[in-house]
Amino acid sequence: MSSSAPSDVALIRAEIRRRKRRDLWFGALGVLALALALLTVVTLFINMLIDGWARLTPEFFTSFPSRRAGQAGILSAWVGSLLVMLVTASVAVPLGVAAGIWLEEYAPKHWLTDIIEININNLAGVPSIIYGLLALGLFVYTFGLGQSIRTAGLTLALLILPMIIVATREAIRGIPQSIREGAYALGATRWQMVRHHILPYSMPGIFTGVIIGMARAIGETAPIITIGALTFIAFLPPAPLVGTPPFVNFEWLSAPFTVMPIQIFNWTSRPEAAFQQNAAAASVILVAMTLMMNGLAIWLRYRLRKNLKW
Amino acid sequence: MDPSRGAISELPIKAEVRNFNFHYGEFHALKDVTMPLCERKVTALIGPSGCGKSTLLRSFNRMHDLYAGNRYGGEIILHPDQTNLLDPRVDPIEVRMRLSMVFQKPNPFPKSIYENVIYGQRVRGVTKRSVLDDKAEEALRAAALWGEVKHRLHDMAFALSGGQQQRLCIARALATDPEVLLFDEPTSALDPIVTASIEELIHQLKEKVTILIVTHNMQQAARVSDFTAYMYLGELIEFGYTEEIFIKPRDKRTEDYITGRFG
Amino acid sequence: MSEHLSKQFDSELDSIRAHVTRMGGLVEEQLRGALSAFGESDHELSRLIIERDKGVDELEVAIDTACANIVARRQPTAIDLRMVMAVSKTVTDLERIGDEAKKIAKATRKIIERGNGGCLAQVLQVRHMGEQTASMLHEILDAFVRLDFAAAAHIVRRDKEVDQHFRATVRQLITYMMEDPRTISSALDVIFIAKSIERVGDHCKNIAEDVIYIAKGRDVRHLGLKGLVREMDVP
Repeated sequence: MSSSAPSDVALIRAEIRRRKRRDLWFGALGVLALALALLTVVTLFINMLIDGWARLTPEFFTSFPSRRAGQAGILSAWVGSLLVMLVTASVAVPLGVAAGIWLEEYAPKHWLTDIIEININNLAGVPSIIYGLLALGLFVYTFGLGQSIRTAGLTLALLILPMIIVATREAIRGIPQSIREGAYALGATRWQMVRHHILPYSMPGIFTGVIIGMARAIGETAPIITIGALTFIAFLPPAPLVGTPPFVNFEWLSAPFTVMPIQIFNWTSRPEAAFQQNAAAASVILVAMTLMMNGLAIWLRYRLRKNLKW
Repeated sequence: MDPSRGAISELPIKAEVRNFNFHYGEFHALKDVTMPLCERKVTALIGPSGCGKSTLLRSFNRMHDLYAGNRYGGEIILHPDQTNLLDPRVDPIEVRMRLSMVFQKPNPFPKSIYENVIYGQRVRGVTKRSVLDDKAEEALRAAALWGEVKHRLHDMAFALSGGQQQRLCIARALATDPEVLLFDEPTSALDPIVTASIEELIHQLKEKVTILIVTHNMQQAARVSDFTAYMYLGELIEFGYTEEIFIKPRDKRTEDYITGRFG
Repeated sequence: MSEHLSKQFDSELDSIRAHVTRMGGLVEEQLRGALSAFGESDHELSRLIIERDKGVDELEVAIDTACANIVARRQPTAIDLRMVMAVSKTVTDLERIGDEAKKIAKATRKIIERGNGGCLAQVLQVRHMGEQTASMLHEILDAFVRLDFAAAAHIVRRDKEVDQHFRATVRQLITYMMEDPRTISSALDVIFIAKSIERVGDHCKNIAEDVIYIAKGRDVRHLGLKGLVREMDVP
């Protein structure tokens, strides 16, 4: 090594400047890409907000659809969405979590489980209309469940099941092996280990997966149309809770229904400008619901992960 | 100060490894290992990385059963009841209830200090609050942690420092009243001062329990153990009193390793 | 000294120090016994002294083994390292003092067996010299326990006096031998005894230097008195 002459230092500095310029270039490119994506979304949302602003009144939430645009509301749509989501969650979450846990903690590692794994990942990428067709054939015609809330719920449950399984598995994989070994070393059985450790520690991840899945399901239109949701519903399904014993009522499961995306779809296909405003207002609400669910997912993950460190 | 030490074979034995062989897939990781574990003494396993010392330690509580592709043969006999820990008819859960383990990196559960300590009791189905409280205090005292945590038993274990976490893990292992305590490089993630305190703790614990410790720090083996086993390439090269191993080893390979002429 | 994190290490070091003290006590007892056997022409006591030297030797071996164990197992550093190294040297000096006591006892026995010890009025001077070194030994053992380097430095100085005393004793004995050749063999034995006592002084000086090494971390051997004084002023 030669002793560092001043000219060497100048060379080194020039070289560093040159490389840092490239750094700057890529940074600028990244910001541009991000701005493009964000601007599009924000523009769309603001556009909808401007169009639908006048219709965002309390009555809009409490009114049934109507032939007169000014009196139409989304009551049956949001109640329908809520009930469908209830069915979806109560079916998809236990199934998805149990499947995820089995695959991670119980399944022996061989070719069969490999195939199952590949298929689950593929299922997450299947277009949603395919699920609709499957549900139409299976639930509506074969099982005769009708074009009901329960069919829609089951369909959407199928749709988000792979997402929940994948999220569960990711969450479980995030738990260090040392925790498992620690539990086993104290004499825990496999179920004790899962019950005391795997389940609680993977909860934040599972919650996040579930909510993101639900946020996707709530906006799904194609499969719901396929199974034949009605577009014009001027009544509510029977209430799930009643005043007389046994206090719960499952008739609502087989009731016909509509959901938010279908209501929006219905209004946008009308020629009158007033209905377009309704569609815009309903869209704003749907987007807000989705954003709220995502926000909830982020908040939950943050809250629950605070206590998990390894 | 006690040159008149008896032969090892005359000491009370807690466990015995007999003709133990271990394979990871095709790899023959341990070759015909035979050695005793003297009761209420500290036995250290030393040797270069990959010599099989951790594999041997983890065989004592059947940790290898958790993973596919491991094969082993031979015996690890636990006295006084002569149970062969490696016998497939012996449930690994039974083995792990009798032998506790402390891991390389402190691995407290993301639960409260209290829940960590009594987890072994929870697993056994103990729910009586008074029993659990007594166990927790006893174990934390034995692990020299009681004074530091008695006022915050329900804080999260992660709030503790690294050394405290490792002592918590030791308390957790002690709370099941193990017959043998296995330490897998328990101080490799800790600083020298904390290491010294853990070593002192190990020294105190041997009054109650037989200890087997794997360490890649030879000086640690010299400091804490009564007996040392030097392992190399899956073979037990030499086993004896720690002073003898460190002052006049019988085998040239042991001498090369402990004097740093290895490799 | 404050405690180590490892109580075991503390107790091992304490044990070594206690054993050195015990060995020192035994050696002092041997020396005083040999001197009084010489002074009182006690044949039986001489025999006892020679016999008991084995105990000193055994202690030396035991302490050295313990030192080796500590080095191997504890990797002592700083004051602990100096302590262990100095202890190892100190026990060698103590063992030599034990040997000198044995030599004194043997020479005494020879003098007694020859039967003409009575003419050796000069023993008084030798006894005085013996008394001096025995008290030096006592003091240096004390200084060792307390790691009192000032007392140790004093011992180094006192060794010079013993050396002078020795030369005076030899000159005097030579005059005796010239006056009465029949006393030559016994006088030679007395010279050997005096030489042994002088050697004890040297060993005490060595131990004193070890104490200074432990306490101050300075090697003061071969510096001479002036050098020693200079070193002692350094904090």
